[in-house]
Amino acid sequence: MAPSLFTNIILTLATLQGPGTRLTYRIRVIEPAAVAPRILASGAVSGPVDTDMRLTLRSDSTEVEALFQITPIGDTVNLGAEFYTRRRVGRSHRGLPIWEEDTYRRVVRLAWSDTARIYPFGGAPVVAPQRGKGVRSTWVELILDREFAGGEARPAEEFDLVDTTRNFRLEAVVRPRRARVVLNLVRGDTVSAPRGVDLIPDEPPRVVQLVLAGRPTTLVVGLTRPQPARTERERALALDVDVICLRVAPPDTPEPIGQVCGRLNNVARQLPLPTGDTLAATFAWPGPR
Amino acid sequence: MTEPRDAGTSGLGHEQWLLQIDAELDGELSLVERAALAKHLMTCAHCAGARASQLEVRVALARSAGNPHAFVVPRPAIRAGTLVLWVVIALGVGLLGGWIAQQRWGGPGAGRSLEETRGTIVVH
Repeated sequence: MAPSLFTNIILTLATLQGPGTRLTYRIRVIEPAAVAPRILASGAVSGPVDTDMRLTLRSDSTEVEALFQITPIGDTVNLGAEFYTRRRVGRSHRGLPIWEEDTYRRVVRLAWSDTARIYPFGGAPVVAPQRGKGVRSTWVELILDREFAGGEARPAEEFDLVDTTRNFRLEAVVRPRRARVVLNLVRGDTVSAPRGVDLIPDEPPRVVQLVLAGRPTTLVVGLTRPQPARTERERALALDVDVICLRVAPPDTPEPIGQVCGRLNNVARQLPLPTGDTLAATFAWPGPR
Repeated sequence: MTEPRDAGTSGLGHEQWLLQIDAELDGELSLVERAALAKHLMTCAHCAGARASQLEVRVALARSAGNPHAFVVPRPAIRAGTLVLWVVIALGVGLLGGWIAQQRWGGPGAGRSLEETRGTIVVH
């Protein structure tokens, strides 16, 4: 019995972690109403099977941030959620708000076709015999989906905020194994031709040459992981997982000029160089291969 | 108190004379009123008996207050020790009640239990 179960788990994990499997978290944020529940927002996060989902819900008195992770086991899946909650509990004698912070974990097991209902602000679901006794609050419906996607590795996010007065956010969290880094040298209004390199974190650095106004500049660049999480919130929400750092050094000395860190979100980040130029580095997901 | 009556006191009924007796024993009558009362007591055995009865009651009250030789009925007085004791007891009860209320309902975050404020996941 035990070996067959173990084999089954291994085969399932091997199947799910194959290059063609893509995981999707589909969510709907729903608010209870007198007549029918109201959908406040909906969205989806997809990516490789190790993709996590970071969900942020804010109200006037409560902030809930949660990181959802899955572990496939046979035809079922373990859904784990690491919650980081801040609740306003009152005001100090000087009139400043007092917040309490809480970190906790929830795990449920469900089938792939099941719907998980998450009550982020607490309050037990109201069942018929106890109607009127339970606390009804906003909930999030989550459906997990897996499909064949032909080796697509980059995550995707879509989010439709129906009620724009609400403060919700949805993010895919994937630890990048490779990154596409596009480098430019900037001085005043002059910009060098972009130089793109595919880099792997913690691999040996590479030498790149950028030409600005006919003057070549040689740099040694390498990718590293950021420092481990220092606060409870960073650890619970894995804020450092999808961040990479570009370490820049001159070719003749191992002492680095500096480093820039960020997510793979096509946002240019700048690093001033001793030559007076500015290095602009843009992190992006690499193309499929 | 009733007005001093220097004339026409003979027309007073027993009820009024009993009030005059009370006032006299409390030292609240003028000389004229006391004279009228004394004159009435000489002719009214009922009022004289009532006066003696009132005096007996006042003697009993003075005895119970621990001062049988008092000239007037001593007023009840709260002793300093008793007052301090009751103040201390009241403060203690107030502090204890406040502490219990603070534990039960007070302070930031009070109300729902911690577990009730935490998120939950339910599978459908």
